[in-house]
Amino acid sequence: MSTPSSDDRAGAVFGALSDPTRRALLSAIAEHPAATATELASELPISRQAVLKHLGALTDAGLLERRRAGREVRYEFTPAPLSDAVDWMTAVGAEWDDRLAVLRRRLANPAGDRRGATSGAGGRGTARPSRRSAGTPAPPPSHRRSSPGAG
Amino acid sequence: MSDRIERELWLPVPREAVWAAITGDGWLADRVRLDLRPGGDAEFESDGRVRTGWVEDVCAPERLCFWWAEDDEPASRVELVVEEQDDTTRLRVVETRPLEVLDLVGMPLPGAAGRTFGPALVAA
Repeated sequence: MSTPSSDDRAGAVFGALSDPTRRALLSAIAEHPAATATELASELPISRQAVLKHLGALTDAGLLERRRAGREVRYEFTPAPLSDAVDWMTAVGAEWDDRLAVLRRRLANPAGDRRGATSGAGGRGTARPSRRSAGTPAPPPSHRRSSPGAG
Repeated sequence: MSDRIERELWLPVPREAVWAAITGDGWLADRVRLDLRPGGDAEFESDGRVRTGWVEDVCAPERLCFWWAEDDEPASRVELVVEEQDDTTRLRVVETRPLEVLDLVGMPLPGAAGRTFGPALVAA
């Protein structure tokens, strides 16, 4: 498992999360950090054996970390695989820097309060790739205009 | 340790002018539709990219807090605070993704009235 590609990693994560029991398990651990398999089994309608199996899948996907505490094994949630925090900080930070620069240009000129003078002009360079990595080909535009989770 | 962006900008105009600029078209997005009340819908469109979300809290012209997300992304929370001091106005921006994880496992977000944002796998 040396440096798996992010696609592999995402696949493992999504696979692990595709099971509703594992999602419930993950939610339980997120709410009660450092839980043991026994504690988790008491919260969910499945056996300790089944809990251990699912914990294994989640650990393999990098979503959980095992910590030994005496005779107990405790599970901690490790959200890192779900997001690349650095990518997010960089992309979103750059977006805000752009926005603040636009605002400063618009409002920080006390002499000329000519509002709306450039409205509609395509002068803003917003051609940055989306927050997703540029390496992944963009899927064809979906027709999900908005899906407010009906149901 | 949640993902968090913080920015600050001082502007030589009254806070009402800042408020109008940050809630109107052409700043958060080219086209901005904000229902400025708690739980109100929000939509932001720029260059064909659409983000949808909702208003968590609003107190014009001082504070706007909303959530937004594109279809395949976890929602993040934006807080804009406008403060007047003497002749200048300070705009503070904080964007966080504090609940990405809960979002991904399909748990509802605060103020979202049961809506969840995030990868389609949650709905599967």
